[in-house]
Amino acid sequence: MKTLALYSNKGGVGKTTTAVNLAYLAAQSGMTTLICDLDPQSSSTYYFRVKPKLKRKARGFVRKGKRIDQSIKGTDYERLDLLPADFSHRNLDIIFNSLRHRKHRLEIVLKPLAKEYELVILDCPPTINILAENIFNATDYLLVPLIPTTLSLRTHEILIHFFKENRYDSRKVRPFFSMVDGRKKMHQKMIPRMIDRFDNFLQTPIPYLSLIEQMGIFREPIPAFAPDSMATKSYKTLWKEIEDKLLSK
Amino acid sequence: MDTDYGIRIPATDEEGFIENLLADKYSYKVEEPVYQEWEFYDTFDWRLYQELLTFQRAGSSLNLRNFSTGELVESIRWERTPRFAWQFPDSLLKEHIQSLIDVRALLLLSRVFVTFRIYRILNQEEKTVARLLLTSVISNGDITSQHTASYVSLRPVRGYPKYARLLARELGEIGETSSIIEEIYLTSLKSNRLVPGSYCSKLNMNLSPAMPSAEAIKLILRRLLRIMRANEAGIKADVDSEFLHDFRIAVRKTRSILSQLDDVFPPEVDNYFKKKFADLGKVSNNLRDLDVYLLSENKYHSLLPSYRRDDISPLFTYLKEQRKNALQEVINHLNSQNYAQLMKEWKLFLEKPISDNEYASKANVQIIDLAKQKIYKQYRRIIKDGNYILEHTEDELLHALRIECKKLRYLIEFFSSLFPEKKINRLLQQLKKLQDNLGEFNDLAIQQEHLLDLTASLPVNDNETKMVLVAIGYIIQNMENQQKSVKESFSKTFRKFSSDSNKNLFRDLFMMTSKKDTA
Repeated sequence: MKTLALYSNKGGVGKTTTAVNLAYLAAQSGMTTLICDLDPQSSSTYYFRVKPKLKRKARGFVRKGKRIDQSIKGTDYERLDLLPADFSHRNLDIIFNSLRHRKHRLEIVLKPLAKEYELVILDCPPTINILAENIFNATDYLLVPLIPTTLSLRTHEILIHFFKENRYDSRKVRPFFSMVDGRKKMHQKMIPRMIDRFDNFLQTPIPYLSLIEQMGIFREPIPAFAPDSMATKSYKTLWKEIEDKLLSK
Repeated sequence: MDTDYGIRIPATDEEGFIENLLADKYSYKVEEPVYQEWEFYDTFDWRLYQELLTFQRAGSSLNLRNFSTGELVESIRWERTPRFAWQFPDSLLKEHIQSLIDVRALLLLSRVFVTFRIYRILNQEEKTVARLLLTSVISNGDITSQHTASYVSLRPVRGYPKYARLLARELGEIGETSSIIEEIYLTSLKSNRLVPGSYCSKLNMNLSPAMPSAEAIKLILRRLLRIMRANEAGIKADVDSEFLHDFRIAVRKTRSILSQLDDVFPPEVDNYFKKKFADLGKVSNNLRDLDVYLLSENKYHSLLPSYRRDDISPLFTYLKEQRKNALQEVINHLNSQNYAQLMKEWKLFLEKPISDNEYASKANVQIIDLAKQKIYKQYRRIIKDGNYILEHTEDELLHALRIECKKLRYLIEFFSSLFPEKKINRLLQQLKKLQDNLGEFNDLAIQQEHLLDLTASLPVNDNETKMVLVAIGYIIQNMENQQKSVKESFSKTFRKFSSDSNKNLFRDLFMMTSKKDTA
């Protein structure tokens, strides 16, 4: 089982849309895939038309696998399951903090799922606290969407700094450009600067497209409702790159 | 698309059927149909079928399936369909196939066209809560024809058990669930007029003890004749090495009957056909030898030090060339007037009713008595010869013993149906161990001899061939050492075979009652 997290300590950068579309493409490619919605805003849960409610609230994350298992729902797509978000996820930080191995709780909970899933994709809330450290410990790679702006550059610097400070393996961090708008001067200027500044960039950018915003209306992954669109093409290229570079070993 | 169990529904207007079933109770969405071509494969002797397995190409997947449960045992994605186990890409599938089919080729048996339609059952959020899979098949291989069968199966969606229960109950009212793949596979075989398990290289006789010997033996010979004929086409088409192998064994067994059970048919008949079948056997000696070499190419490479492994390769190129000629010779013979004549005469003889005056002294003896007598006599001979060898280990004696053991093996196989299966199997196991030892000894001797012969016929005019000669020398040395250790283990193997418990088993099964009393 490989675990990928769509992570950013900044909101509104395209984490959920990327997580949903990549999870869909992974399942289509034949991998049994689970997408975990860790965000109390439960957007990916909404995209998959599942009610945002865990059977045992966040307590499932506290004890071992069994509980979380009961909350998993099949989606509209073969091989793709979803662990729905729950409003109580907003407390995960506090709960994890009160336990032993407090930085490894997520890892412990996800471990038994290896029997069923080849790939787990975590859709994370924007945080950099105990939950974030749980995510760092539980995942093989952190996919970080970066909008080419100065603000994003700053946030990413904070993340990299945090990794170094706390001795996490910074090779896990794989940024990629998100919501890129070629018409904006700022974006044109920032892309080369950021590539210069950070290592391990994934090469596929996800452009800013109105279709991506419409996912909320269709409540489906883009390749499912617009298979020939530019957006689908971008996500497919990104997925292929991830498959080749991160999952083939 | 994965299929396992389903319920058979009418194949005409199956979509209407499903729509009726769901109409008032559920909202649903039908997905675009998916079309797949399936091909089913097995070896000529149905090795997979015997294990309830089938090798299936479905789209671009190669699957090994248990057809009776539908279970997918192994699967890989691969565009080509390999014919032999060694052509598979390294995978668990390859290992599994290898252990099942060994050196046999996979033959295409049937082709079916499958259409899958998925009906997604939706809740109020329009979220999928269960799926129905409609599988429609054209199993006669003709893509233009109507569906020949349709099945519906329930695929629950995780986290929505209530819907699964409801639908299962409703589907249960339509009919019984069964393995879809089994029905599709077996039907497609039937429409190609193939009978699974119809060929088997084993004799599988079913003799009754009181049969007159001449009649029983003709039954066995007829079965052997059928085996020969069944393999002709595969030899000519050069499908795999085992067609010839089975053919030759049937010929050898025929000869073995004619010479070992010689007082059943009139001597002139025995002698005439013995000669004819001996000649028939000789025709393919060369081809079989070459097959054995080529099949063990890897073994030869491994007998060489790793940095010299490729030196022997030119030899195999040479042997492959030779094999082409040898095969043509065999094909020519099978197509000849001579061969047709022999088959015709032999068939006539085997089908002629038995009349007393034409036959020899044992013709009317009950087959059980003849079988016991012959087997026991042969067993005692082997014990006697073997004991002698323990004192005087000469290579020629070991070779001779190997042949006597083979005779015993054949006798037991011909008549096994007359005796309790368990005991016969135990006995065959013991005999097989002895035969393996002697066989290995013999193989090593023969191969060394052949390799030496080859060095004489290989044209030596370049450096490459000189390296081959060096390699051959190395291999012969290696084989000689192996042969020595095989020889050393003979006495141990033979002592086991001639043990008291085995002796008692033979006595029990094959000694005539009258003798037992006096013994």
